[in-house]
Amino acid sequence: MVNQTTSTSQNRANLLRWTGFSISPRLAIAAGAVALFVAIPLVYIFIRAADADIESWQRLFQTRIWKLLGNTLLLVAAVTGGASLTGVSMAWLTERTDLPGKKLFRWMLAMPLAMPAYIGGIVHLALLRPRGGYIPKALENLFGEMVYTPSPLGFWGAALILTLFTFPYVYLLSGAAFRSLHASLEEAARTFGRTPMQTLFQVTLPALRPGLAAGALLVALDILAEYGTVALLRYETFSSAIFVQLSGRYDRSAASVLSGILVALAILFLLSELRMQGRARFTQMESNWRPAPLSMLGKWRVPAILLVLGVVSASLLVPMIVLLIWSIQAFLDPQSLSSVFQTGSQGFGNYVWNSIWSSGLAAVIAVLLSLPVALLSVRYPNWVSKFISRLCQVGYAIPGVVIALSLVLLVNRTLPFLYATPLVVVIAYVLRHMPQAVRASESALNQLSPSLEEASRTMGRTSLQTLMQVTIPLILPGLLAGGSLVFLTSLKELPATLLLRPAGFDTLAVRVWVWAEDGFYLQAAPAALLLVLTSALPLYFLLRRERIFR
Amino acid sequence: MTTLEVRNLVKQFPGSTHSAVNDVSFELSDEEILALVGPSGCGKTTMLRLIAGLERPDSGLIHLNDKVVVSDSVFVPAEKRGVGMVFQDHALFPHLTVFDNIAFGLRGKKQSEVRTMVGEMLHLVGLLPLSKRYPHELSGGERQRVALARALAPRPVLVLMDEPLSSLDADLRTEVREHVRQILKSMRATVVFVTHDQDEALYMGDRLAVLQKGHLEQIGTPEEIFHDSDTHFVAEFMGDSDFLKGRVVSGGIITQIGLLNQEVDLPIDTPVEIAVRADDIDFEINGSGNCLIIERFFRGAFNLYRLRLDTGQIIHAINPHTKILPVGTRVQAYISAEHELTIFRDQELPR
Repeated sequence: MVNQTTSTSQNRANLLRWTGFSISPRLAIAAGAVALFVAIPLVYIFIRAADADIESWQRLFQTRIWKLLGNTLLLVAAVTGGASLTGVSMAWLTERTDLPGKKLFRWMLAMPLAMPAYIGGIVHLALLRPRGGYIPKALENLFGEMVYTPSPLGFWGAALILTLFTFPYVYLLSGAAFRSLHASLEEAARTFGRTPMQTLFQVTLPALRPGLAAGALLVALDILAEYGTVALLRYETFSSAIFVQLSGRYDRSAASVLSGILVALAILFLLSELRMQGRARFTQMESNWRPAPLSMLGKWRVPAILLVLGVVSASLLVPMIVLLIWSIQAFLDPQSLSSVFQTGSQGFGNYVWNSIWSSGLAAVIAVLLSLPVALLSVRYPNWVSKFISRLCQVGYAIPGVVIALSLVLLVNRTLPFLYATPLVVVIAYVLRHMPQAVRASESALNQLSPSLEEASRTMGRTSLQTLMQVTIPLILPGLLAGGSLVFLTSLKELPATLLLRPAGFDTLAVRVWVWAEDGFYLQAAPAALLLVLTSALPLYFLLRRERIFR
Repeated sequence: MTTLEVRNLVKQFPGSTHSAVNDVSFELSDEEILALVGPSGCGKTTMLRLIAGLERPDSGLIHLNDKVVVSDSVFVPAEKRGVGMVFQDHALFPHLTVFDNIAFGLRGKKQSEVRTMVGEMLHLVGLLPLSKRYPHELSGGERQRVALARALAPRPVLVLMDEPLSSLDADLRTEVREHVRQILKSMRATVVFVTHDQDEALYMGDRLAVLQKGHLEQIGTPEEIFHDSDTHFVAEFMGDSDFLKGRVVSGGIITQIGLLNQEVDLPIDTPVEIAVRADDIDFEINGSGNCLIIERFFRGAFNLYRLRLDTGQIIHAINPHTKILPVGTRVQAYISAEHELTIFRDQELPR
């Protein structure tokens, strides 16, 4: 009751602000500038695409586009479906049943987020490659003849491997939703005569739909942008085709056209994701929340454990173990050891340092830029501020290859002194991953009662002092979470780094990729392992913030 | 001396059809507590936020200590007004201890001075042992007192309190409000206290201002507001009054339950309404009486009866607890008040 009255008055206060309080011009200008910074590369791609001569449009339409569109959409559909199915069923098993070892499994199911899909792809490819893979070879030695093994190449391989490394998005979102769902909702269904199974399908899952859809659409956007894995598994999508145009044939006109179409497609996905996000709210926790009773697995206990173990093995345990073994082998072999630590004038330390400073700087910049945008959209919600906030989330819909293309063209033309400096790489990270910072800042601010800021004002602080002394200290955990996310994803970013880096600027991701592409798995392994562990650290702290991981 | 003067204040939110604050004027003298009371949505919180500088009015004047803080050409922002505010959700800074919360408004003072002033405030509100705690380690009542101490610490010219007790449990509320009033009086603070609770307003306010739909209905002492309501709304909102219809005759007013022997300055035959409270009416058992008992509420020290007159109108009457009459009993009700009753011309016009 007490809570209720406070929250209604809160709503009233928010409503007042919405309609009444005049927007601070300084804040509006700052947010507007951020939006402009984000919008320019996007708009530029469309301009270049529209600007391309009719001939390249025609040529592309006659030859490539339909095939690429089909390939891309097919992969997106398969992976999104697979990731949703895997994510929701894993979430249900670890949140709503008496599965043994749930606590451990929760961590192991979320941790593949720290593993870039291309590294997982490298491991699975090395294991299963039709000729020369570890498993086919071992089987051949064992039976003395070729044994058929499924190939990880092509559509099915790509779909399966990408599913393995993207399902945690859905898993985390639906796990949190399962957890926060009010027990009485299901109890109500039971009193209306539904069996537990009917309740799951008629009440629980539909109630989770908004969160689930948001997770699935994030997966879809991720697949649209994916370059490393599809290139590795030789399945051509828009992203990999653009990459080839850019790096190999160097046909910028064709790349622009393909990019324009890809981004338009991605924006469609992003728009539906943003709509879902707004509605995802009704699964949020209420004050009188209590956990729903667990379903008993009974005779399904063993198959359930095997299923979870299978998913965890393929997406986490096997890749980690293989990387570990390779790393040990690399350290035992003097030749590869020396090349791990010294390639040309560059050493291992350089890659680590490059990775960390570029991703770290991107995280700091992204969080700083997200602040005015979040302040404006949360404290003064109207259509202008909402538009700015949405525009700043457009990075989700711009794949790394497209950001790279746009920046190459833009920087060349307008800021040539930036060209071929690591700063361009940092800018690409910021543009691509800022949405995560914006969302984290917004959700942190949403939880901060405006009356705290008003209290500070009545006690003699200006709006800027209030921001520094009250607002920022209080939302700092949220800002750090946003920063960690940006850091984590920048660390993994492959195509933008490959295309934009100046000669000699190698990051861990780049090194892993280059070595693995040349078949030097042992050499690549220590870098890959370090990359995974570096990503796992911020991920660990992010997950600790979630209720289900305490 | 006048601390606060509000003149013709108007505030309308865009998209709203009526003004949240509609042409309100009043004055507040030194060391006075004004209780701003009204139903939810009456504009009392907006009024408070306008005085605090958290909201900008469409027109009107506000003077604080004889300085203009709001006019057509002047708008002094919240941080420069020197008012203290206690928020409904207390708004204690969760990242600061009790001590630092109270010291937040004491900027630019020497550290030793700050320590003494915060110590004094903590002593006053009785929280000296809790100075190192964080807000989440306090009970609701303690939080309330920290919020009060924080607002009072800089010795503001004016203290604004926005339903400060509404987040407390009902039994705690009565206890805390005595304590709060005592503290405010001992600090000789000038206060505007917003509440939707009539009891609380009558208790806290040296004077009351009753707002409805952004309009100031009446301002006066608790006694004036309660016994001498200016408007139908005030009588109904502040006193749970029933309104008995009647007609002016020579020597009083004739009603359905008899003659009210009270002189009125109205022509004969004017239709009027008399505001009667349950303690103004009494009844006795009478088989051919003028009304029927339709409900009885046990209220501990007395019984409250709901009576239906033969015209269908409902009135209330209280009776000592020893006399229990069953529902359905026919009784004869009459006006027993020994003080003057408030009379309105029918159609809500004051007498």
